[in-house]
Amino acid sequence: MTEQIELKRATDPKIVKMIVFAIGVQEYCIPILSVREIRGFEKTTTLPFAPPYVCGAINLRGIILTVIDLAIYLNVPPQPDNPRRVAVIVESKDGVVCGLLVDRVIDMADIDLKDVQAVSEEGSCLAGLVLVDDRMIGILRLDTVVGQLVGDTVSE
Amino acid sequence: MDDILQIFFQECDEQLQELERGLSALSDGESEHETVNAVFRAVHSIKGGAASFGLDNLVRFSHVFENSLDGLRSGRFAPTHDVVKTFLKAMDVLSDLVNEARGGAAVDPTRVAESHAELAAINRTGGDHDGTASAATTEDVIPVDFSPVPIDFEPVTADFEPIPFDFDFGEEKPAPAAAALRVTFHPHDALYERGDDARNILIGLADIARECGGEIQTSCDWSALPPLADLVPDKSYLTWHIVLPPEVSEESTNAVFDWVSEDCDFSIVRESTEDEIPPEQDGGQAEPAETEAAAAPPPEEERAAEPPAPEPALPPPVEALFPMPVAAALDLPPGSTATPPPVTGAAQAAARKPEQASIRVDLHRIDDLMDLVGELVIAQAAIESLSRRTDAAGQHELVQSISSMQSLTRDIQDAVMAVRAQPVRAVFQRMQRVVREACSMTGKDIVLTLEGEDTEVDRTLVEKLTDPLTHMLRNAVDHGIESTEARIAAGKPAEGHIVLSAEHRSGRILITIKDDGAGINRQRVFETAVKRGIIPPNAVLSDDEINNLIFMPGFSTAATVSNLSGRGVGMDVVKQAIQSLGGRITISSTPGKGTTFGFSLPLTLAILDGMLIVAGGSTMVIPISSIIETMIVKQSDIYALPDGSNVISIRGDCMPLIPLATALKLSDAPPRDSLDASIILVVENESGARAALIVDEIRDQTQVVIKSIESNYRQIFGVSAATILGDGSVSLILDVSALVASAIGHIDSKPSNTRPELAA
Repeated sequence: MTEQIELKRATDPKIVKMIVFAIGVQEYCIPILSVREIRGFEKTTTLPFAPPYVCGAINLRGIILTVIDLAIYLNVPPQPDNPRRVAVIVESKDGVVCGLLVDRVIDMADIDLKDVQAVSEEGSCLAGLVLVDDRMIGILRLDTVVGQLVGDTVSE
Repeated sequence: MDDILQIFFQECDEQLQELERGLSALSDGESEHETVNAVFRAVHSIKGGAASFGLDNLVRFSHVFENSLDGLRSGRFAPTHDVVKTFLKAMDVLSDLVNEARGGAAVDPTRVAESHAELAAINRTGGDHDGTASAATTEDVIPVDFSPVPIDFEPVTADFEPIPFDFDFGEEKPAPAAAALRVTFHPHDALYERGDDARNILIGLADIARECGGEIQTSCDWSALPPLADLVPDKSYLTWHIVLPPEVSEESTNAVFDWVSEDCDFSIVRESTEDEIPPEQDGGQAEPAETEAAAAPPPEEERAAEPPAPEPALPPPVEALFPMPVAAALDLPPGSTATPPPVTGAAQAAARKPEQASIRVDLHRIDDLMDLVGELVIAQAAIESLSRRTDAAGQHELVQSISSMQSLTRDIQDAVMAVRAQPVRAVFQRMQRVVREACSMTGKDIVLTLEGEDTEVDRTLVEKLTDPLTHMLRNAVDHGIESTEARIAAGKPAEGHIVLSAEHRSGRILITIKDDGAGINRQRVFETAVKRGIIPPNAVLSDDEINNLIFMPGFSTAATVSNLSGRGVGMDVVKQAIQSLGGRITISSTPGKGTTFGFSLPLTLAILDGMLIVAGGSTMVIPISSIIETMIVKQSDIYALPDGSNVISIRGDCMPLIPLATALKLSDAPPRDSLDASIILVVENESGARAALIVDEIRDQTQVVIKSIESNYRQIFGVSAATILGDGSVSLILDVSALVASAIGHIDSKPSNTRPELAA
């Protein structure tokens, strides 16, 4: 019986598995399929002329990618001296790979797209809000966040 | 199947190279039997391969080509200048056809037909030269005999002798000498209703003709066509007259009609050439009149008036004769040979090869690499076992093992580079064609000599060199070499000369393009630059700086914009392309004697010798090639400018002083009040402008592997790429030329070395 429910969930296109993480006191989530891996935060190399939310570049097995400090990007006060800070390595639809620096990864959640309350703002990095176990979780629009890294997709 | 096809195309590329090499050798006067054979083999292999893949266009053309080359091989005619030129042209067509078969741009059928005709003409005139218009010669003519103007054979019937044709009449062919097979074919409506098509019959006939080593001549009789208003679209009005070579037997011809005999009228008649003038046959009432009408206008007009070969699958052989192309196109019933007209014109411009995704490597290079990897495995095992020992001797051995590992790594690096290395021949030989085409457009007579084609460079570099070299050579033809009259007036040989050479020089590859033209007219360049607002009228420039002005964007001295050049974009693009490859361009020009352009390029784009420096807390890499010297400055050499920036005088040379950390906005701390005793690197960009970079520390000199940063991030000013250091951290490689350019821009917009007032 549970198997059937699982199967139904897995095949239902309306239900998306999301990874939930915390930045400061707020929680956000992104589709798990866009996550490549999660790794501990390491020292980054500062990039010249970078926007303040770009921590710098790291080496991921020979590929150089930039890490975005989501706390600064989302204007949330970060948790100070947090040993659980991790970089979530994501890949956007355009194939751009980057790291998102988050305070901690909480868990995974099946989110029914019917429950998502859209954020009306156009071009926002937030795609919507959803309630999971009475917690308000923001869904990040990954392509907007990552797209800002690549110069030609966004005008500054 | 696709895999095999890819291999075939690769082989085609190799054969075409071989062909080009052989033909160049021939044009240099080398007429050894082996060279001719090599050329013949190349075309033959392409033909053979193409046949097994059913690439009809390619087969047809290479067949004709091969036939003409056979004349050369059997010594019927000598490889004279004109003959080789025709062969070269045919080779260009052949390589375009290969490209077309690969999915590239379609080839203009008129070009193919033209080259066909020229090849045929060579074969024919070749036969005339040795004076024996024997049966053998005539036989040789037949296979190439599929003219688009098939009815123009009256001259031959008149006196039945091969006539030396003018090249203008290249379209015309002598008629088959022996008794040809004449087929008349009129499809009924039922043929189309059954879903068959007249073209299938025509293709079938062409195929049997080809089996016998010949080609067919086709003409279409549309006299039964009603005016457009009365035309019933699904009625069949056309009748075809097909002349098959004499070798074709009646039975095989009959076999072609086996399946359609009920749905069409056809007749097969063997007739002698004497009564070649089309006799009245079923449905051919209006034919004589047509023949005259078609034969009357001069061939050029006729060609222009004809629609391009209406059947892309068989352009030359099945050529319907339409004096009024528009009407004809409209009148054609569906299902006839009116398929969409092939693309013309643009074909030439789009004749670029798709990038090759695989390379061929000598087996021994792979073996070398394999050996080295074997050693690496052993060395790694040795280090592992040594690392478990704790005694002092073990430590010593460990250090030794690590150092041998180091040399192994370098060997492997070299071996991999060798695998990727390719001779520049492939690019250089493509340039022969560029020059040929540019010459025919400008009407100049220029010989391109290649030197050092065997010089090996990284294959990425080889591919990226094509565009800049094409630009440079077109420029050399268009602007560099004077017109023939001007050359003769200047006492030079009428034939221009361009030398394209490649050589290794101190870890870089040096490519030079040398012409013996008029040289750069510096006065004119200077005036044009002033006129275009590139430099102020009172600028004082050295000869070298004036030469470099031609690389400025928007610069062009050409009075008119031609097909080839003159828009003022080319040289700028060349410079950018070369710079993006980490190269630099030098020019030297002597008025009246010619111009030499030199490209100096790194051997590989993957590895770079760099200096590790620290600035603003970050470790960065500066390419060694751009560093002139390093030193510690004295306060007394520094001059402050009103805008807050500084210049430094080093042995009398003034250059801007760039605090690297602040220039890259890496540190918020204001620059030190006193710059005394700071470490500086004197760096130079491609055009020789210098600047001094202030760094915190010089750490090391090392080879770094270049990694792209732009694939996952935007382009950063002052940074060209990134690398990964031994500790796994990312380090940025600085773009020295951008830094220098911006510093010079800050201080003076004029090119460097021209600031006498500042230096004082």
